[in-house]
Amino acid sequence: MPFVILVPLLPLLAALIVVIGSDCSRHARARVAAWPIGAAFCVAVATLYFVATQGTIAIRFYDPASLALIAVPVGFYIDRLSAVMMVLISGVGTIIYTYSVGYMYQDPQESRYLFLVAFTTFVLLCMVSSANLVMLFVFWQLLSCLLYLLAHNHAHAATLAGAYRTFTLLRVGDVAFLAGLVLAHSLYGTLEFPTLFTKAIETPVTLSPLPGWDIHGATAVTLLLFIGGMSKSAQFPMHIWLPRSLYAPTPVHALLHAGIINAGGFLINRLAPLFGLSSTTLHVAFVVGTMTAILGAAMMLAQNDIKKTLGFSTIGQMGYMIMECGLGAFSLAVFHLIAHGIFKATVFLNCGNVIHKARQEPAFPHTDHEAAEQSFSRLTWTTGFVTTLLIPLLILVVTHGVLHIPLLESQGAVIFLFFIWITSSQAILTLTRLRAVASWKVSAAMLLTLPFIVFVYLFAVQSFTAFLYRDPQEVASYFLAAALPRWLFDVMIAIATLMTIFGWTYLYMRAHGRTMWTPAWIEGLRIRLYVLFMNRLYADEPYELFSQAVMRLVHRFDKREQGWSQ
Amino acid sequence: MMEGAIISWLPAGVPLLGAVLSLAVWSKPDRLKVSAILVSLVSLGANVGLAGSLTTPPEGMLLLYLLPLAACVSLLGQPVHSDHRPSWLMTLLFLGLGLGVLTNHNVVGQSFLLVLLGSLIALLFRHHTALWPISWRGIGTYGVGALCVGVSVITGPPISAVASLLTCAILLPLVPFHEGHVTALTRLPGGLPSFIVLLLPALGVHGLTTVVAAVPEVAARTVSLFALAGSLYGAIKALAQSRVRLLLAYSSLSFFSILWWFVAAARTPMPRVAVFVGAVGLVTSGLLVAWQVIRTRYGDDVDPQAISGLAFTMPRYAVLLSLLALAAMGLPPFGVFAGFMGLLLTSSLTPSVGLFVTLVAWLTASWYIMQMVQQLLFGVRRPDLRYTDLLRTEFASLMMVILVLLALGGASSNLWGPEQTAPPTSANVEAITWNK
Repeated sequence: MPFVILVPLLPLLAALIVVIGSDCSRHARARVAAWPIGAAFCVAVATLYFVATQGTIAIRFYDPASLALIAVPVGFYIDRLSAVMMVLISGVGTIIYTYSVGYMYQDPQESRYLFLVAFTTFVLLCMVSSANLVMLFVFWQLLSCLLYLLAHNHAHAATLAGAYRTFTLLRVGDVAFLAGLVLAHSLYGTLEFPTLFTKAIETPVTLSPLPGWDIHGATAVTLLLFIGGMSKSAQFPMHIWLPRSLYAPTPVHALLHAGIINAGGFLINRLAPLFGLSSTTLHVAFVVGTMTAILGAAMMLAQNDIKKTLGFSTIGQMGYMIMECGLGAFSLAVFHLIAHGIFKATVFLNCGNVIHKARQEPAFPHTDHEAAEQSFSRLTWTTGFVTTLLIPLLILVVTHGVLHIPLLESQGAVIFLFFIWITSSQAILTLTRLRAVASWKVSAAMLLTLPFIVFVYLFAVQSFTAFLYRDPQEVASYFLAAALPRWLFDVMIAIATLMTIFGWTYLYMRAHGRTMWTPAWIEGLRIRLYVLFMNRLYADEPYELFSQAVMRLVHRFDKREQGWSQ
Repeated sequence: MMEGAIISWLPAGVPLLGAVLSLAVWSKPDRLKVSAILVSLVSLGANVGLAGSLTTPPEGMLLLYLLPLAACVSLLGQPVHSDHRPSWLMTLLFLGLGLGVLTNHNVVGQSFLLVLLGSLIALLFRHHTALWPISWRGIGTYGVGALCVGVSVITGPPISAVASLLTCAILLPLVPFHEGHVTALTRLPGGLPSFIVLLLPALGVHGLTTVVAAVPEVAARTVSLFALAGSLYGAIKALAQSRVRLLLAYSSLSFFSILWWFVAAARTPMPRVAVFVGAVGLVTSGLLVAWQVIRTRYGDDVDPQAISGLAFTMPRYAVLLSLLALAAMGLPPFGVFAGFMGLLLTSSLTPSVGLFVTLVAWLTASWYIMQMVQQLLFGVRRPDLRYTDLLRTEFASLMMVILVLLALGGASSNLWGPEQTAPPTSANVEAITWNK
């Protein structure tokens, strides 16, 4: 179906329309260029329908046997995952571009900026529809450059430094990706997607990089590729580039947080059959993702700037997404990726207005809810408490009995349900604290709304999983590969339960005006942690020290060597 | 027989004859420059036209096309001034001698190489100053190179093979024989460095593809070690440099060392060797021309840290320099990336420390090249400086480099030379030695 090629080509056309032409027609061209991007979205929707009904589309403009002789083997492999991603990217790209035309109006850098937005959309679309790992890597690297160009401001020293750091850090990920690619080619002899997966399953190999240390071939490949994914998706400790890039125009962040940063998640999902062969990599992904989710969320809470808050929120969400992959729930990660992308794009597009309003009104945001926070409603609190404790049981029963999610066999599903529990508890806590209104209506709304949301979410996820993976055995095999040791699983569940109950008890007592005795060192620790998270765990400093140490060594070497530098 | 000999002399003859004829307009620098550019284009046309009749070198025909192009780029990038006349003529002379080495084999080819090295030594000697005593090392290195050429002609294997290998290590720079390369790129006058940076490595790789199979195992292993050391050494030295020409010399040394490692490990000519050498040489040539643009405006000894904000004031220059920098960092869709990927995917090497070192060297390029570009292009605009964007010839020169690099990046390597097939990977043919 050659029409699918239009999906990436139309944004490229838009980029050319923006950049080629005289200065007097600059804005008119910018407006015209929105149409091809919109058309790309329409074709992407048609592609999704076609793929869903007719099956995968594979177009190759090269001979797969001579892959190594071609620098950029251009081809398209569009399955359901690619088609869904194409719809997301082209849709969000259309909205962001259209918004940016007005946002950047009369800005001297309008053309450059709009060109970059359209070109980034093109690169993202090519990346998600790549037929092989080489093409994916090519566009992966281009994305690193585009991120540098999009995130920096020529004349602003801090932005320049941030952009430089972003680029260098992303390049580290690129090199790891390249190493994984070369290893995959060396082990399996192909980089074509379906063939690569088949070969990896058929030819299990064990490597011995050091005496006494054996590693599974698929584990080595996927670990290297995962490092590449970590850098793009801002996973701890490679997350530091994201907060540094926050000086860019807000639509850039909408594109970054809705599209570019999802590249890591997409990579893991694209290579899900390969990642599914390595429990070790999935466990590493789980640990890295969980750490990033927790630290990202904690740092978000301590920020005092709207863009930084949103930036760290994205880091946390990306951690959550990678954690989902680490649990073998690949389709859930894609679902999360889409939902987060749309949500974050909306928020970022709006945050410019919020900042603008805040500058106009000194009293903004309003603080008139402070009085309401003081009041205590037994009814609301009891309802929240009951909801938090009883609804998880209800969810467990329904998911197991009605939705037929095999909870006993898959630890991942249970962990997700616990995460839903923690998240919904946190949401209820926030609502209860903010609006402690004693009303049966409020209580009833809380009781009904939460199960409704949770079940709709579960139903949507289950349907989406069935859409992406038509073979339930495949989904089950990923869950199985990601299974954690039983004791660890039990400990995690116990900790999650205790944390939720403790959180409720603590807040309930504080709402009653009672104080809970806490040792002084905990209080001190709380303050220290706040400072630590506010300063982003001082994660930038080790990098700074490392780069300074490297440069010191380099200059010392250069001076000692009696060469041309003397 | 006679006809074949004449045809193999023709590629060398065109630029040499052109150089002689250009002397007729020596007193008019503008005409001399135009004449030199035309000769290089005619040379390119002749090489393309004779492609079917010439014996294809082991590395393919690509270098025969790239050398006249690089000469043209180098000539276009220089301003019209009577001081540059000798370097224009020397460019044509070196082009002729270089093409002579590529198209003639055995003694004739070696004679061309001997003359070329002799001319280079003479030129470096003429431009030697007491301020740069270290350039003696470079002159000495080329002297050793010339000696090795002579030894390889008069002796038999394995001495001739080792002598040829040493010559290759001087032409295609390999630590510790890299001083000639650094000297040539920093001390040669006018635009010659931007041509030499492709010419000598091209001749080196031509010799290497011929000699690599005959090199003893011990020598290959030693070369492999030197290559790894060289790739790191070049990268570290480039990181420490503030002078652009030195930075580019060490950067290219690092990239050429990567090639050495692949060839020494594979012990056989690889399909993308010419693409890699051509692309690295050409991109360095382009960056040298871009630096020449700055030197033309702000003087020979300008500190790059003193120039900033060119993205605002010289937008055309900024765009082209950015693209060249992307290519130099080994990013797609340019030739350096294509060559590097080709080396990685067509070699049947097992992942090892060597591969890791080459990847680190490749990664480091992103830092020092980006740092250089960021210093020049971005930052605050200096109001005390006069900015003039690219002239037409300068623009054409840089644009030509970018287009050729794009072509090298996008085209299949089969296009440039004999029919090549990707070697089967270890996964297909045999059990991997480092596997259990």
